[in-house]
Amino acid sequence: MSEKLLDVKDLYTSFYTHLGEVQAIRGVSFHLNRGEALGIVGESGSGKSVTSLSVMKLLQHPGKVKSGQIIFKGEDIVPKSNKEMMAIRGDQIAMIFQDPMTSLNPVYTIGNQIMEAVIKHQGLSKTDARAKAIEMLTLVGIPSPDQRVDNFPHEFSGGMRQRAMIAIALSCQPDLLIADEPTTALDVTIQAQILELLKELKDKVNTAIILITHDLGVVADVCSRIVVMYGGLIMEEGSAEDVFYNPSHPYTMGLIKSIPRLDLNEKHRLIPIPGTPPDLLNPPTGCPFATRCPYAMQVCIKELPKFYTTNEGHRAACWLLDPEAPTVETTGGVKRGGK
Amino acid sequence: MAEREVLLEVKNLKKYFKVDKGIIRRNIKYVKAVDDISFKIYKGETLGLVGESGCGKSTTGRTIIRLYDVTDGEVIFDGAEIGQMSEHELKPFRKRIQMIFQDPYASLNTRMTVSDIIGEPLDIHGLASGDNRQEKIFELLERVGLSKMHASRYPHEFSGGQRQRIGIARALAVNPDFIICDEPISALDVSIQAQVVNMLEDLQTEFGLTYLFIAHDLSMVKHISDRIGVMYLGKMAEIAGSNELYEKPLHPYTQALLSAIPIPDPEVTRAKQRIILEGDVPSPINPPSGCRFRTRCIYAFDKCKEIEPELKEVSPEHFVACHLMDEKV
Repeated sequence: MSEKLLDVKDLYTSFYTHLGEVQAIRGVSFHLNRGEALGIVGESGSGKSVTSLSVMKLLQHPGKVKSGQIIFKGEDIVPKSNKEMMAIRGDQIAMIFQDPMTSLNPVYTIGNQIMEAVIKHQGLSKTDARAKAIEMLTLVGIPSPDQRVDNFPHEFSGGMRQRAMIAIALSCQPDLLIADEPTTALDVTIQAQILELLKELKDKVNTAIILITHDLGVVADVCSRIVVMYGGLIMEEGSAEDVFYNPSHPYTMGLIKSIPRLDLNEKHRLIPIPGTPPDLLNPPTGCPFATRCPYAMQVCIKELPKFYTTNEGHRAACWLLDPEAPTVETTGGVKRGGK
Repeated sequence: MAEREVLLEVKNLKKYFKVDKGIIRRNIKYVKAVDDISFKIYKGETLGLVGESGCGKSTTGRTIIRLYDVTDGEVIFDGAEIGQMSEHELKPFRKRIQMIFQDPYASLNTRMTVSDIIGEPLDIHGLASGDNRQEKIFELLERVGLSKMHASRYPHEFSGGQRQRIGIARALAVNPDFIICDEPISALDVSIQAQVVNMLEDLQTEFGLTYLFIAHDLSMVKHISDRIGVMYLGKMAEIAGSNELYEKPLHPYTQALLSAIPIPDPEVTRAKQRIILEGDVPSPINPPSGCRFRTRCIYAFDKCKEIEPELKEVSPEHFVACHLMDEKV
């Protein structure tokens, strides 16, 4: 069994707005092993980005971690001060964001922005840092890196900016890289380049990755384990194979059924999930998916389900898995072997 | 196959945008957003238009509906050339061609009630007034899965998916024949996308609509379209039936595009052979000579640099613009 790098325990994060408390995350627990790629899947408002910002301790006012523990390399980082976090952030945990244009500083050269990280965290001299910057740009596949290092972000295309972001993030060889929708703003052919790069670098640098996305195709490609979030809660967690081929939660099943498959030819109708996601200002007392769930029972509306383990490392929060629940015929999941 | 009726024909359509520079706004260059493309849309079908950002797919849609003026070429709708018509001559056609936009937040006037938004096209074309108008609005709201009580509300009170439904109701208000859907689901959540796509399909059957469906999500385009056109840098690279295009992509760009899409199935997607394209899309201000894809194409040879390939029919209803087709490599 590999070592746990990150262990998030019963995390609650809220935003205290003038309308009231928005409970963005309501008790989330998951872990990540060293060198592993974990995918967090969910729709907008499911809490997937807030989870990652909580781990980075980058929550902006009025957001706050209410309770819970975030244990990184054996130490709880929730009580850490901003100063202590600055030593960890960029060095041991790095993050890349959806929009590479707004996350790079437009008035510094790409080289300077990579150098900043290695000078601060690794104490390199300016000359060494510059050499390191060129090395990193080579690693992420920027052509003629010795010239490109002096370019400003606006001189880079979208795909190159995201590569530069990855170069900055990986420059200090972090143990954990959080990638929040890293390819959503990019075109598919560029997305394929970036995903290929992430997979390659994960093995080369041995960095663990948390990949946050709404695209089931992307997680299927990159991640070995998947967490499905909805309404600020984890609905299901398991290996990629378990979640895709044998989903236990009706929400996961619904998601899989609602997206068309490029590789299948039959002209079938999509099966949408009816309704809309819950309002987290007044979250439902029961399962957040109950109002949209085709199998919802009385208990689902009244009480939040606990996790049921279906097999080793595969768990889901659904009352249907309770031994006392009636057996229903659920359909969903990807049929193995495609057609 | 029986001879199908052509509803819209685009012939050698060009749309160039001026690039001004300096204080005297000297016009120095053109962005050739759409550069000489031709295609047909048959009555009752859905033609999908795909390509990466900047390939000209949205410009094509907006030029057809005359939100942009045509630089050159013809747009023939139901036998009439509408590309050069004056606004006055165009009015009867405006009723027959409608558009659904990508951003459901930006395409609805925030100061108008839903009832006014849907009623506006009815007023402009003088289609209904008084009680009749109100009834028609309620009917449209119900048709798109909303209810009467939504009529007096403002757009900010709705979710993204509901706003897109309002946009669809507005487009349907004038009983159009042809609807241009410009990325209608890209801004929506995965679980909501299927709701909207299913509704578009139902409406098509019910009202006999013809769609031009513009999107970058190839999986969804393949699902909804009968035929698909693939654009690259203002040019049409390939047009074919959607299954044919997926099974036998002939243009190297189409092949790369299809191989780049991750499939939501771990075993299938990991086993997939990827063609990873090098570099980025060149600038449309200064496109490469000859074939525009040659700078990223793994098969490019001398001819590609010199001569621009024409869109040719290589098998029935399958058009490709690539020199490799002549070489039979």
